[in-house]
Amino acid sequence: MKWSNVRLILSREIRDQLRDRRTLFMIVVLPLLLYPLLAMCVVQVSQFRKEHATKVFVIGAHPRLLEEPALFENNRFAARLFSSPEGVALLELKFAPETPPPGKTLADMADQARQQVAKSGGPYDAAVYFPSDFAEQLERFRQGVAARTSGRDVVGEADGATKKKRAFKELPPVPRPDIIFTSANEKSQMAGSRVLDVLQRWGEEVGRANLSALGLSPSAAKPIEVAASDLAEESGRSGSVFWAKLLPLILLLWALTGAFYPAVDLCAGEKERGTLETLLSSPAQRSEIVVGKLVTIMIFSMITAILNMGTMSLTGGLLMSHMPIQGAPSLMSFVWLFVALVPMSALFSALCLALASLARSTKEGQYYLMPLVMICMPLALVPLAPGVELTLGNSLIPVTNVVLLLRTLLEGDYATALRFALPVIGMTLLCCLLAIRWAVEQFNKESVLFRESERLDVGLWLQHLFHDRRPTPTVAMAVLCGLAILVFKFFLSLTTTFPESFGDLVKIALVTQVVVVAPALVMTFALTSHPLQTLSLGRGSWRNALVAVFAAIALAVAIHPVAIVFETAASKLYPTPEGAEALARLFGKAPNFLSLLLLIAVVPPICEELAFRGFILSGLRHTGRKWRAIVVAAVFFGMTHAFLQQQLAAVLIGVVIGYLAVQSGNLLPCIAYHMVHNGLMLSLSAITPKTLREWPFLNWMVERSEGGFAYHWVVVVAGGMAAALILTWFSLLTYQKTDEERLQDAIRRGIKADDEPLASSAM
Amino acid sequence: MIQVDGLTKHYKDLRRGQLVALDGIGFRALPGQIYGLLGPNGAGKTTTLRILSTLLQPTSGRATINGYDVVTQSAQVRRQIGFMSANTAVYDRMTAWEMVEYFGRLHGLEGDPLRQRMEAIFSRLKMNDFRDRLGAKMSTGMKQKVSVARSIVHDPPVLIFDEATSGLDVLVARALLNTVAELRDQGKCILYSTHIMREAEKLCDRVAIIHRGKLLAEGELDALRERHKQSDLEELFFRLILDHDAMMEATA
Repeated sequence: MKWSNVRLILSREIRDQLRDRRTLFMIVVLPLLLYPLLAMCVVQVSQFRKEHATKVFVIGAHPRLLEEPALFENNRFAARLFSSPEGVALLELKFAPETPPPGKTLADMADQARQQVAKSGGPYDAAVYFPSDFAEQLERFRQGVAARTSGRDVVGEADGATKKKRAFKELPPVPRPDIIFTSANEKSQMAGSRVLDVLQRWGEEVGRANLSALGLSPSAAKPIEVAASDLAEESGRSGSVFWAKLLPLILLLWALTGAFYPAVDLCAGEKERGTLETLLSSPAQRSEIVVGKLVTIMIFSMITAILNMGTMSLTGGLLMSHMPIQGAPSLMSFVWLFVALVPMSALFSALCLALASLARSTKEGQYYLMPLVMICMPLALVPLAPGVELTLGNSLIPVTNVVLLLRTLLEGDYATALRFALPVIGMTLLCCLLAIRWAVEQFNKESVLFRESERLDVGLWLQHLFHDRRPTPTVAMAVLCGLAILVFKFFLSLTTTFPESFGDLVKIALVTQVVVVAPALVMTFALTSHPLQTLSLGRGSWRNALVAVFAAIALAVAIHPVAIVFETAASKLYPTPEGAEALARLFGKAPNFLSLLLLIAVVPPICEELAFRGFILSGLRHTGRKWRAIVVAAVFFGMTHAFLQQQLAAVLIGVVIGYLAVQSGNLLPCIAYHMVHNGLMLSLSAITPKTLREWPFLNWMVERSEGGFAYHWVVVVAGGMAAALILTWFSLLTYQKTDEERLQDAIRRGIKADDEPLASSAM
Repeated sequence: MIQVDGLTKHYKDLRRGQLVALDGIGFRALPGQIYGLLGPNGAGKTTTLRILSTLLQPTSGRATINGYDVVTQSAQVRRQIGFMSANTAVYDRMTAWEMVEYFGRLHGLEGDPLRQRMEAIFSRLKMNDFRDRLGAKMSTGMKQKVSVARSIVHDPPVLIFDEATSGLDVLVARALLNTVAELRDQGKCILYSTHIMREAEKLCDRVAIIHRGKLLAEGELDALRERHKQSDLEELFFRLILDHDAMMEATA
């Protein structure tokens, strides 16, 4: 890659964007105007915003009996029962006639009120119903309490404990006024809660009056008074939590938006205007073009984010100086935001660039924004959930990790931030690199660069799929198969409950394996013309296959200790979910070890290998890059496992098995490896102190560790070395390359030869 | 020089099944020669030229430019060629001067040599009166001139023109053809695709006639006329294509 070319392309693209009025408006003018205008709207609207009065229907309010302390004043609730004097006017009361119409009771009227309130739009928003004997009940309760306190038992004489008990039991029931409202209607709910406040205050007053009547201090019912002192508020940092959550989100949103529009213009726009072919036929390499465009997009993404962030916090800070949340974000927080902006913009720019290069026109390009937002936003929103904090596990989740790191920094917790800065930066860089590679690849694909619109015809397409079958599946088919397996498995997990018995476990495990193997087998036989080649079965000689199978078995045994170490490390990172232990207990309920072995170490290896190293890997190898195919197939394989710890370990094992599949060109060694691996896993978990006594030689292989037995470190190291040897043997095998892999090899050789013309014969 | 051997290109097309755009094309164009690629629309001309300019990869076969393989040494190939086609447009938001300068610099030219070269090209192609005009404001003829200037700014040994005169009026087209002829006289190897027989007759030293991805005839113009006993190239072209279609129908 020549940096002078990158610089050249970069400066041209920037000039090009600056000459585009739409881009300038979106990136510079809009943020400068948007927030002040928004703030203006907020201020204007808040002037008009007023709390609306609500109407309440009062049933059974006997003014005489609701006195002392008074509940009503001038046909409204008493002003002293409201927290603020304005509240009085907000509750308009309408009193029901004191005596119900003939032939009806108060309870009937309450029922009527219920119907009225339930259908909104009636004459009142809520109702409050005092039963007809409310005043009497209140009085009776008061007397009951008084009698008990003074020791005069109304019931009669009795002794000691029974007396107390009976007195308590005989205490008259607490009077219950009923507030009728519906939360389905906002106004009704508001009225209900206002009435509730009033009645609660009134109830407290009644209680205090009762206490006074008994000659007790009203404060007896309020033994403690809590004083809350918020340190953040005192130090003026209450705003920092608010900003720490809001600013990273806004930053990400604008970094994404700011990257998207230039990306569409620079890729799809160039395609549309026909200048892309001009550029591609120039000596600039695809990687130079991509990097030049990428940096352009990144610059615009960062400018958009910075301008938006600046004007937003400026207007927001000014606006909020009138609000309870105090304090504008500190200057330091902007430094951190800027530092985090660089990798985030890079990641989003690369993603946008790759996506935009898929589009044929700017119009099509704009359609891609929504899916991108749908993927990125949940990741950015996760940190907003309460209790989500920066941990090692979280710091490995892209986007989420940067938001969390930023939040930690903005909250001023530098120690935690420093501890996890490295994994966050590493993960973000990795994602950036992958996204950039993806973008470069898009620019190398003629099917992407010269896509032409075609009329969609499902029938024709299906016919083509079936009639023009190839010996092995295409990349798209392989990906589709992997996704289908994942989706089916997800639905299966939704419809099944956690197994209770071993029998249930067997059923679920077998159905799961059918779900894994069925899509692969159906697609193999329907969509490929050479099923055996697709599934890597029956190729090459039997003797070679047999040797490979033995080597694979040895490899599985040698790698197993290393795998265990890895899995233990993973489970320290991400705590083991409860389900995993419950599952392990179910294994213990197996009738015998053989059936368990069949269930775990025989059936799944066959099914999973047919799907992942058979169909999916065969298809993926048409990408022309063997390692990528192996890793992607391994990721699919990993994701079908239930728990994250298993998934991580499975991806690693999947890579090893995938390598065996490619190098040996045969699925049998893969199945053998997988069987041995699962079998050893099961055996290790089955070891008890008793087995060690029976087979003492195991003592020098395993040792006790938390929650079971683990390998000796000597065994781990020895196993690792043996594994390296066996893998070297596999790497020496000559494997069958696909056409695409041969082409990539040729290009690599061509680049290596560089200035030398390859075709000397043609001279 | 351009050497093409057994070049095939297949496209996947749902409606027509596997589409063979090129079916084993082979030819050889030498320096100081204008090699004409003649064929009706959809014959495979653009596909051939796109493969030669490394924009597409052949399904099979091989093509080299000055010895560099178009698939495995694409970067070197792009340094050897100037490519101009109906699909290589001019940037809307760049002036004529900026556009040519940009590509000159991408080819590694800098400073005075670049400016001198550009001044020469701009005056030879009579582009000075619109050198500061944005691409969006140019006429078709101006854009075509900018494209020519862009493709020759680095003085490449091999030039590939794909239907360069399409959409041009007679005056501009004639000027362009003169330019191409001049370039040949400078010793360039020029591949010129067209479906206008008069252009080919006037310009080309050798031609290849392709139709439906197949090479129907190839050779020097006079030799072709002799071989097919037809002095009018358009007539000859027409005959060849009709004969081929009739043969295809008979065998189908």
